[in-house]
Amino acid sequence: MLGVRLREAGWGYGFVAVPIAVFGLFFVYPFGYALYISFFHWGILGKQAGGAGTFNYDKVVHDPVFHTALKNIAEYTLGVVPLTMALGLSLALVINQKIRGRNFFRSAFYFPSIASSVAITTIALYLFNANGLFNHIIGSKTPWFQNAPTVMWAIVGLNSWTSAGTAMLYYLAALQSIPTDVYEAAAVDNTGAWRTFWRITFPLLRPAHFFVLVIFGIGALKLFDQAFVVSNGLGGPNYSTYTPVLYIYREAFTTFDFGVAAAAGVLLFALIFVLTLAQRLTVGREEAA
Amino acid sequence: MTLQTVAAADPFIPRRARSEVARKAFFYAVIVLVAAIFFVPFIYTLTTSFKTLPDAANVTFIPHPWTSSAWHTIWTQYDFKTYIKNSVFLALVVTVCNIFLGGLGGYAFARLKFPGRELLFLLVLGTLMIPDQLRLIPVFVMLTNWHLIGNFSGYILINLVTATNLFFMRQYFLTIPKDFEEAAKLDGAGYFKTFWRVMLPLALPAISALVILQFQGTWNDFFWPLILFGQGNPAHYTIQLGLAELDFQYTVLWPQICAGSILAILPILAIFLAFQRYFISGVVSAGVKG
Repeated sequence: MLGVRLREAGWGYGFVAVPIAVFGLFFVYPFGYALYISFFHWGILGKQAGGAGTFNYDKVVHDPVFHTALKNIAEYTLGVVPLTMALGLSLALVINQKIRGRNFFRSAFYFPSIASSVAITTIALYLFNANGLFNHIIGSKTPWFQNAPTVMWAIVGLNSWTSAGTAMLYYLAALQSIPTDVYEAAAVDNTGAWRTFWRITFPLLRPAHFFVLVIFGIGALKLFDQAFVVSNGLGGPNYSTYTPVLYIYREAFTTFDFGVAAAAGVLLFALIFVLTLAQRLTVGREEAA
Repeated sequence: MTLQTVAAADPFIPRRARSEVARKAFFYAVIVLVAAIFFVPFIYTLTTSFKTLPDAANVTFIPHPWTSSAWHTIWTQYDFKTYIKNSVFLALVVTVCNIFLGGLGGYAFARLKFPGRELLFLLVLGTLMIPDQLRLIPVFVMLTNWHLIGNFSGYILINLVTATNLFFMRQYFLTIPKDFEEAAKLDGAGYFKTFWRVMLPLALPAISALVILQFQGTWNDFFWPLILFGQGNPAHYTIQLGLAELDFQYTVLWPQICAGSILAILPILAIFLAFQRYFISGVVSAGVKG
């Protein structure tokens, strides 16, 4: 009996060995290593002279470029998250009706979500260039993605359009789990559609709102691909597309200051960690309740 | 239009029903319009890719004249042939590794008993909390020291298996009744044979979802290829890197840029159209459970 259990344990360790090695080597160890690097002067050739200290954090926290990156990402997040949620919920409400061509519409709305960020951004650069389709329709000549005051909002529009389909799927799953007798009761009371939505559906979707909020909120804080593509990796014009992740990238691969890049990474992680923790705790409580 | 034809066909529709028809027609008009906002950009991009450069300045949906020269240029002169080959290679290898290792690990965590199992599983879930932006510097330093920057092995190594995939496979294995394994055991099958010949084939629905999501994830990945291949030889560029490079170098060469974007989307579109069901259920279950 002991032999059998030993054998099973042996196979168990064998099966998980490679995955655990990958996670240990490329997740857990780098986590500690990043913290370590963040306390040293560290360049492309490795650790430099001078002891440990919090100087990298001091530099990040006092760097006006990092402040701009934080301001940009705050604006972006506050714009893109509510817009994605509103669009996603509206699309889900439409798809949830008994309509002809339901699957077609669902696929059409969802499709931009699966296309690559670089390709979608490239298409947006084309449609929103000074002489592009969009300007032709509205009769303007604004280069939306090359213009400091408009570029972040252009990315907000682009990304809420792209990710609305994903939000729609989450909301759709939530809508379909609402028991129908709730609506039957409302119908008996002769409650109007608008009132039914705001008084019944919307509050019942609370867990979904929270889930979508956190998922897209965390995603928004990590904005990189679109900012990189529209600005040729430079964060311009006039720092208007600088985001925290672009800051990390540029500190690492144009300034080659790995210490500062690691410190900025740790700060971004701390922010995301708090949000994730909030989600796990709240969702756990909702499920228990 | 729908409204008029319906009304003309039957002039005796009572007022109330008529307003119902009007409401319906309005509703469909709105969602068709909204759907158009979702696919017109792609159609417009596709038609531009068949235009000449001067014609691309015209806001028209029909190329005049039609030409495939933009496609020809990106495929041969700008080497998109190589980028596509690289992306297909990486996406296939990473997906296969994830099926095998995610399946193997997922099976062990679901079914085999060994001391420390729960602790190790907690470690797996813990990795979900560590964002790429934090791993970036250490992983880059490690791969540099091992001379794995600028070649495919480094990328494959760090993407051999993800916690999401392992977790996803484990959850699926938990739903499979134990009878199948008991039967295999009675036939004298060992642990690996049971996994390979019995459990993995039973997990086909989960594998399909994993294949679609992982292939798409690797195909669309921009961050890690940029870090690992971006500073080196364009021979290692993936399609996304190649497209970004095309944007930067030839900012207004719209027919070529449009052809490149379509090419970067096309394989995923094909998979999406073929396996919509798996796509959509996979996204929801991965999101809700993960």
